[in-house]
Amino acid sequence: MTQNRNAYFKLTAYLEQSVSIAPLVSFRIAFGLVMLFSTLRYISMGWVDTQLIDPILHFSYFGFDWIKPLPGYGMYLVFSAMAIACVAIILGWYYRFFAALFFLCFSYVELIDITYYLNHYYFVSIISFMMILVPANRCFSLDARRNPALERKTVGRWCILIFKLQIAIVYCYAGLAKINTDWLLEALPLAIWLPAKSSVPIIGVIFKYKFTAYLFSWIGMLFDTFIIAGLLFKKTRWLAYIAVVIFHSLTGILFQIGVFPIVMIFAVTIFFSDSFHGRIIDGLTRFFKRKRDVTIATNDLPSKTSNSKLLLPFLMIFFMFQLLFPWRYTLYPGSLFWTEEGYRFSWRVMLMEKAGTATFYVKDGDEGREGSVVNHEFLNSHQEKQMAMQPDLILQYAHLLEDHYQQQGMKDPKVRAEVWVTLNARPAQLLIDPEVDLTAKTDRWAHKDWILPFNENELR
Amino acid sequence: MNKSKTFEFGLKRILRVVLLGFLTSVAFVSCDDDNANMPGSDFDRKALLESIGTNLIVPNFEDLQSSVNSLSETTNGFTQNTNEQNLITMRTAWKQAVIDHQHCSAFGFGPAELLLGPYATVLGVFPVSEEKIEANMLNPNFDLPNSFDRDVRGFYTVEYLIYGDGLSDAEVVAGFDQNRKDYLLLILSELKSSFDNIASEWNNSYLQSFIESDGTSAGSSISLYYNAFIRDYENLKNFKVELPAGLSAGQPGADGSLVEAYYSGISSELIEAHYENSKNCWFGLSRNGMELIGFEEYLQSVIGGPELIETTKDALFRIDEAIANLPDGSLSENVTSQEVEILRNELQSNTANFKSSMSSLLGISITFNSGDGD
Repeated sequence: MTQNRNAYFKLTAYLEQSVSIAPLVSFRIAFGLVMLFSTLRYISMGWVDTQLIDPILHFSYFGFDWIKPLPGYGMYLVFSAMAIACVAIILGWYYRFFAALFFLCFSYVELIDITYYLNHYYFVSIISFMMILVPANRCFSLDARRNPALERKTVGRWCILIFKLQIAIVYCYAGLAKINTDWLLEALPLAIWLPAKSSVPIIGVIFKYKFTAYLFSWIGMLFDTFIIAGLLFKKTRWLAYIAVVIFHSLTGILFQIGVFPIVMIFAVTIFFSDSFHGRIIDGLTRFFKRKRDVTIATNDLPSKTSNSKLLLPFLMIFFMFQLLFPWRYTLYPGSLFWTEEGYRFSWRVMLMEKAGTATFYVKDGDEGREGSVVNHEFLNSHQEKQMAMQPDLILQYAHLLEDHYQQQGMKDPKVRAEVWVTLNARPAQLLIDPEVDLTAKTDRWAHKDWILPFNENELR
Repeated sequence: MNKSKTFEFGLKRILRVVLLGFLTSVAFVSCDDDNANMPGSDFDRKALLESIGTNLIVPNFEDLQSSVNSLSETTNGFTQNTNEQNLITMRTAWKQAVIDHQHCSAFGFGPAELLLGPYATVLGVFPVSEEKIEANMLNPNFDLPNSFDRDVRGFYTVEYLIYGDGLSDAEVVAGFDQNRKDYLLLILSELKSSFDNIASEWNNSYLQSFIESDGTSAGSSISLYYNAFIRDYENLKNFKVELPAGLSAGQPGADGSLVEAYYSGISSELIEAHYENSKNCWFGLSRNGMELIGFEEYLQSVIGGPELIETTKDALFRIDEAIANLPDGSLSENVTSQEVEILRNELQSNTANFKSSMSSLLGISITFNSGDGD
């Protein structure tokens, strides 16, 4: 017991050791810049309208069906707030408030519709949450300029470690997820995706070789699994970073993955040394012609935050959750890729080629006249595509249809769906029992027994 | 110091094992296959775009342009000499135009994307609103170019005007006062200028840019063409068969007035022509039967493609049969027949082949304005 307690104290003492604040400051600036770019890009693509305002229906996250888009120009207000928050984060101006504002706005937008779920949005939500917890404004910031007493050149070690740990989880779990037979032995889905990219300039020609798909599959798996190890050691760090830049640039060119490559290329710089980041901050300070005054002795105190006694246990639980949650799929029967029970929030990125066609049939009561639904009268093509291969979204849509037809005057709408899904180039199979009345089913954590088993043998 | 050295050693060993395993597996993989090329490698998307663009899309739009122009001329003739003879001539020209329209409706992108949407969802809308049309005719301030109503314009508004709802030829001719003539000419002028435009844009520069953009992501030619093709196929099923047959969700029953070409009674013929064009796109055939490069050839070259081709061909064969079995006479009077429901079901059972399976195997983006993926 005392031993455990001692170990805990040792650990917390280690976590609270003073280290240079410089990596955190560069991280703050880089994060703010990338998020500002991402926010402006989202607006300029017109996605505020097409993804959030225009759709008639939204698919909610489990337990978050109370989250709705704001009416009128409300969503644009949220995005403006996000952009302003990014600028404030970059400048370190009322930092904690704006970090919290950014986290809330970003997560709110993400929670509006689950069909837009992306692992990198989840990653940004987590990072922006952790940004609230750390004193990233205590150096090279307007806050520190306004109140020099705030200025520090060190922070507790945990302030840097949590970001490294989070990034490590992302890469390692993404790598582990690639260790499956389709990915390694069949080079699927890359053997489907790469030939479709043969018109990419210069490198496009190599995508016609089967060898390339295997090479990319294996390199992808090894890269994700081991890149953190490369980044941790001084000797391999630059090499590993070059690999990061090449890997993410390549995936960025090949696949429609938006800002994700830039996010990661900037995020992993946190693995660089204190002196590297120190030079960056020094350079920036000189550039802005500010005399750096962190060397003032009185300020050279460890910036132990008063609440770290509570924070550290919280963070330990938080990371325990992060480490365990992706394994929940092992508690479900059946193929993970097929049922997707426990698929999200687990860093499974670019892992499978899956597509479905879902036709919904509605009738009023058991004896009613049955008719089919034109999905695009309710959903945009992205929503329809995502819904048509994910059982929980199929169920949600069935309930949305139930509500709709109830409003249209049906007494007891019954909804069933015939859903044909192809997974990694296998012939399409029925995903769910087409006879089941979905309005009688509710979404829960439990296994959905109306999902039909996956016939894996059907791969050529 | 010592500690880090052992660790480094351990790391090196792990790396060595991993590298070795990797190289062995790559060697193994590259040996087990006699053709190192991947399926999909030999396929030239540019050739498909050129073949389909030059020999299917452009000629079909040219046919439509010319039939709309003759419709326009016969209409001018009819409005000047309003008699039954000219009415018949005009109707013949109209029939040709709507059949040609069936061979173009799948190409509602690029020049054929009008202000209000793909041209078929603007100029090929049915049923039209008789009340609104009659009201517009009497409204001197009616402004067609600035009207957002889709059910007061296009081919089926012309049909309503020149066939009438259950009127004899003599009654139709007798009913053509100046207001009616003016409205008919107005609708025709929009049709003519629209298709003159589409055909000339395709011929001037669009064809070349269509062929050049040979990627697969959102906005590429193959993605635009594929998505328009799918939506058009779904429109055939949803609006030309399912809705009149009362097989859409929430419908109390069949409704013969919802068929395409209700007033002329040529619905079945149009369904057949529409489906023929879907097949032409998939098999790669020009309207007069010349072999082109279609989705079938594209599928032939990718993983899982040959299986999907077999499944699709079976489904297409059954649709052919179902169309051949449609009852004689006008569809609007037979919407409750078993054969119509069978046709719906056969069209339905092919939807997944066309929609999700094909786009998945070909790696085509199925959204028009795609968000990010991961």
